[in-house]
Amino acid sequence: MGTSSKALTVRYTKSAVIASAILVPCLALINPRLLAINGVGPSWVVLWLLPWSLAGGPLLGSFAGLCLGLLLDSISLYGATQIPALIVLGFWWGRLGKVSSATHNNLSLGLLAYMGSFCVGISLWLQFYLRHLQISFEIFHSWSFQTILSQSLITGLLSPIISFWLLLYFKNRRS
Amino acid sequence: MAGGPKLVGLRLHHLRKVLPFFFLVGCLFLVRWSKGAFFVDTYALITRPFWPGSSQREWLQYGDLVESQVMVDLLQADNNRLRRMLAIKSSSTPDLVSVPVIARKSNGWWQQLELGKGSVAGIQIGAAVMGPGGLLGIVESVTPSTARVRLLTAPGSRVGVWVNRAKHHGILLGIGTNRPQLTFLDKDPKVIAGDVVSTSPASTILPPNLPVGVIQSLDKKALPAPIASVQLLSAPEAIDWVQVQKR
Repeated sequence: MGTSSKALTVRYTKSAVIASAILVPCLALINPRLLAINGVGPSWVVLWLLPWSLAGGPLLGSFAGLCLGLLLDSISLYGATQIPALIVLGFWWGRLGKVSSATHNNLSLGLLAYMGSFCVGISLWLQFYLRHLQISFEIFHSWSFQTILSQSLITGLLSPIISFWLLLYFKNRRS
Repeated sequence: MAGGPKLVGLRLHHLRKVLPFFFLVGCLFLVRWSKGAFFVDTYALITRPFWPGSSQREWLQYGDLVESQVMVDLLQADNNRLRRMLAIKSSSTPDLVSVPVIARKSNGWWQQLELGKGSVAGIQIGAAVMGPGGLLGIVESVTPSTARVRLLTAPGSRVGVWVNRAKHHGILLGIGTNRPQLTFLDKDPKVIAGDVVSTSPASTILPPNLPVGVIQSLDKKALPAPIASVQLLSAPEAIDWVQVQKR
């Protein structure tokens, strides 16, 4: 009886993790206008990947980064990919989670999410920059940096609310 | 002499009788001299409650709108007939499909629309997507039941356009901002701010003569060719249904 109950719990937690991960591309598609600065929404993938990597370690973090990057690339226009940045961020946050548990407070989560979103933005900007060299740079840069700053700010603000609870859930699941 | 006072009295009596008529005629001369000011003002004051209200203005505006629509239909039919005679692709759009917008990103890294119909409904890659205001973007990828549209503002968007007043072609490049950049092919395009940008009348890829936007500013010193900033007519952030060209 106890074994079957434990198996049920494991199945439930696995389903919950998968469902929460699938929610990331769904939210990226829905793009709720209420949670946006200058029309730019948060980086939902960063909000999910950060707690997952902190709780799971570098290997799981990188793997999740790859999977989510593939999913997000499949629902976006051609031109730039998020995969490299997400793999690197998953690895980095995974190592941080292994080394120290001091990162598990609200302020650190907010800061890490801000930096993560900024890194994803910079990687996208570099790819757009190299692909569209014929575009007037001045205008292109101002738009890019406005997008990077808006997205980083809203991601950093939402992280203590969303990533914190996800981190608690992922840590409880592992323990 | 005896009849003198009697005669004067009689004259005064007659004068008293005709005096009101003189007074009336005098008043009428005054009215005439003032171009009927008092008369018309009094009329306006009295009839003010019966003046045509806003509803009547709306009827007239509605009539005007219907008249314009009928005129557009007639002109379009005439235009198509002439195009057939010249063997140019028709601008009539019988092969359009109305599609709902199921997701949108009009700001940020990817500026795109997700549409609720795909290859099953006859939508193909490269199809033009139109909404109120004109061209919105081009279909970039399709699945059996959805289609993804690259908006004209998205980085990487390239559409050939035409400035009708100056009769010059250009390429409209998406640069991420709300105003795409129009790069002219000619060094002296002779366009000015306010010129309307549309798809080329001879276009075979996009529907011809489709409005795109209005030139907001012009940089004539840009190299290798002048560039202009174009304000788009359509508003993708507020459109729930679009029309997609079936190919």
